[in-house]
Amino acid sequence: MYRRIILLTTRNRSGISPSAEHSINITNQQETKRISVSTCPNRQRMLYNKGVCAPNKRPFSTSTAISKENEESSAPKTGVTEAKVKEKEPKKSGKENLLDLLSAMKVDVTTKKKFQALKSQKSKEQPRVHPESMESATSMFQKATTEQQAQKESLSPELIAAASAVASSMPLKKSQMESELLQQLRKHESDTEVHKKAETNNIGNIIADMKVGKHPNARSPNRPANQIRFDDDGRGYTHDRGVVNEFDAVRRRKSLFTGKRLNIFPSTTDTTETEPKEVSVPSLWDIELAGQIAAVIKHLPRNGFEEMIQWTKDGKLWQYPINNEAGLEEESDVPFHEHVFLDSHLEDFPKQGPVRHFMELVINGLSKNPYLTVKQKMEHIEWFREYFQQKEEVLKESEAY
Amino acid sequence: MAASVLSRVVKSGFEFLQTSFRITSQAGNVEQVRGYYVNWRMLRDVKRRQMAFEYANDRLRMNAIRKNTILPKELQEIADKEIAAFPRDSCPVRIRSRCVMTSRPRGVKRRWRLSRIVFRHLADHNQMPGIQRAMW
Repeated sequence: MYRRIILLTTRNRSGISPSAEHSINITNQQETKRISVSTCPNRQRMLYNKGVCAPNKRPFSTSTAISKENEESSAPKTGVTEAKVKEKEPKKSGKENLLDLLSAMKVDVTTKKKFQALKSQKSKEQPRVHPESMESATSMFQKATTEQQAQKESLSPELIAAASAVASSMPLKKSQMESELLQQLRKHESDTEVHKKAETNNIGNIIADMKVGKHPNARSPNRPANQIRFDDDGRGYTHDRGVVNEFDAVRRRKSLFTGKRLNIFPSTTDTTETEPKEVSVPSLWDIELAGQIAAVIKHLPRNGFEEMIQWTKDGKLWQYPINNEAGLEEESDVPFHEHVFLDSHLEDFPKQGPVRHFMELVINGLSKNPYLTVKQKMEHIEWFREYFQQKEEVLKESEAY
Repeated sequence: MAASVLSRVVKSGFEFLQTSFRITSQAGNVEQVRGYYVNWRMLRDVKRRQMAFEYANDRLRMNAIRKNTILPKELQEIADKEIAAFPRDSCPVRIRSRCVMTSRPRGVKRRWRLSRIVFRHLADHNQMPGIQRAMW
């Protein structure tokens, strides 16, 4: 494999390197050595160190400026094309390479759609062999970006109708008012959605920046396991598996009951459930037995990390990064107008008088309270309703109801 | 106490056995009461906290009616009597912050819920993350 690379470099030292992708890679390496070193595995680094870069700096100077934007997006892609190019070995003349360069340079404006279009083009040109981990990183990044694109701000028709009603009630500039109101509502929706999905975007970005790691045991060698292989001396040796691999599968199992069903035994279906026995109080022996069984089944934590995981599952430890709305996931789906506009719940109260005044103050306070759920607010209002209905006589005496 | 002991053990992770039992509230047998609190005063404080949590909403609403210039005074007097009729342990004023380890009622730092002696002991033995002896 390495012999091929050396041949390539010696042939093309004076001219331009074999393919357009190579040129982009080199410019990338010059610009951002950090990224390219981390993404390219060792054999690719050897290629560059052979001196392909040195004599060819001038023709790439123009492309560097343009390809700056393409850097990060093409860094993972170029790693893949590297692997492909070495296997295929296209030999082009200098002129063809220049033309390739120019055509590649045309793709300068990087919107995400164009990046994807470019990538699909490249994939059509050359059939590829994806290393698995590479595919997962880029595909995850792509998924995160497509999710962002696919979001459309959708307002419920009620809100739109309400906005138009408000705008029409205003004396001047109705259309402008309406558009402004709708804009505000859309902005509010997009803000809440961004806030909700901020975590997924960050994860996608983090993963895209991470270096590609390859699973050590992913590619099992083509030879059957335990086959005797022969060195040059003529001595045979078997591939030593080592103790680690045996325990690997066992360790991956987190408990006895995970994993695929083998369907060896017929599953018994209880048509008539046995009636639960009535025991007055479980005796101490029963409790002890139950505790023993529970202790055997659950796996004791092997280290501090597993202990903390267990505590988090139990609810003893908060979830990190700290989420201020930890127990309130359902609440985030409730639209804001149910929190703020509570006037409609005041229908059962008298329309004038101190009671009404008092309840309006209550509702004013509740609408400003961001810490209560809508249910809790409704409970408060209902309690007051019942209380004042009970005390009707007292209130009527003092002419308050 | 017996019910709480049982419930605590029963909850600790063997739900599959629970279906076979039915715990009736009328226990004929007398069992020894064993708890995990340091002393009875701590237990009483725990009970007060639980009761204060139960009655918190009611007290809030009653006080909103009482501390008011809008509603008629007769109603407020009635509300005064009603709130006085709540159980005594339901008011949050009776809660005393005690040390979690020793149940000491005085010298308790609120952030760690520990008395000063226990705090010092743990900090000197390096059991408190981020706590260091001050020196300046």
